[in-house]
Amino acid sequence: MTVGTPINVAYVLPRSAVNGPGERFTVWVQGCPLACPGCWNRDTWDPAPRLLMTPSELLEQLDATPSVEGVTLTGGEPFEQAAALLPFVEGAVERGLTVFAFSGHELGELVTPAQRALLALVDVLVAGPYRAPLRTTELAWRGSTNQTVHRLSGRGRLLVEPDFACYEVHLDEQGSAAVTGFPPTPTRKALSLA
Amino acid sequence: MSAYITVPTPMIDRECLLTALAELGFGAGMVEVHETPVTLRDPFGATAKAHVVVPARHLGAGSDLGFLETPTGIRAQLRGVDGRFRGEWLERLRARHDAHLAAREARLAEERRLAVVEARRAAIVASARRQGYEVRETREQGRVRLVMQRRV
Repeated sequence: MTVGTPINVAYVLPRSAVNGPGERFTVWVQGCPLACPGCWNRDTWDPAPRLLMTPSELLEQLDATPSVEGVTLTGGEPFEQAAALLPFVEGAVERGLTVFAFSGHELGELVTPAQRALLALVDVLVAGPYRAPLRTTELAWRGSTNQTVHRLSGRGRLLVEPDFACYEVHLDEQGSAAVTGFPPTPTRKALSLA
Repeated sequence: MSAYITVPTPMIDRECLLTALAELGFGAGMVEVHETPVTLRDPFGATAKAHVVVPARHLGAGSDLGFLETPTGIRAQLRGVDGRFRGEWLERLRARHDAHLAAREARLAEERRLAVVEARRAAIVASARRQGYEVRETREQGRVRLVMQRRV
């Protein structure tokens, strides 16, 4: 039974269509040392514990979400918590799911044993820091044009990059909006995100 | 000396009072409602005023039963000699009034909540469409999910 070291989580969207191909169980980790200017997930920078979840708890939530094609790791910086994320990602792979990850680091910078072990399970990595002057809403999966899509596995090479820009809004029961993906600036302003 | 007894109640809402009265056997055709209080009918000369009146003929009694609306709540106007509509009956009336009031407040709160969510949803969808996005909407357990896509 997987239990493992708790992962410091910012939030989880059990179902998202804009964080990688298809419907994906998406985990935003908490904590990022990169502090890219213009990042609009600033609330995920602080490494202090926010929502501590064991890999088993995340996998239980994953199992309660039918018909997802894969899991996505984003944040925050997922590779800062590579060791803690490993059992969760292994569980996802055992379930036949694809693994998509975002990192503010370049691929060559992910060199620790835990980071390499996590990379070995990732099908597609979108790597590179967010550069505000290079911001784009014209590319799928990327927030700025310097970021690179690395297809790291045979399955990753089969995943189709969509030819559309996309973003997603989740309204809860009280009308509070959670936004993910890459909305255009007017929409960001309308949602008080810009 | 014949007299009405005025009993303050925690009841505050006329509509809920009327519904509660109906549930206790005094439906719309048996209750008078007045915008300004009227004097209750009593053959023995007792005087009291009320906005909501259950006439004596529906009570099997000689005197009307009334409810007077005041700034501090609804007061029951009861004939002292008729104990049927005091104590336990009045408590049942109050309980039903309170239940209807709570249900209505919950319903109104839910309507306000839905209006807030709908206004937010409509604004987000309109903004996305102005930017050329197609919108796909799904709902699950009260949550709304909007996926916007635009060909590039």
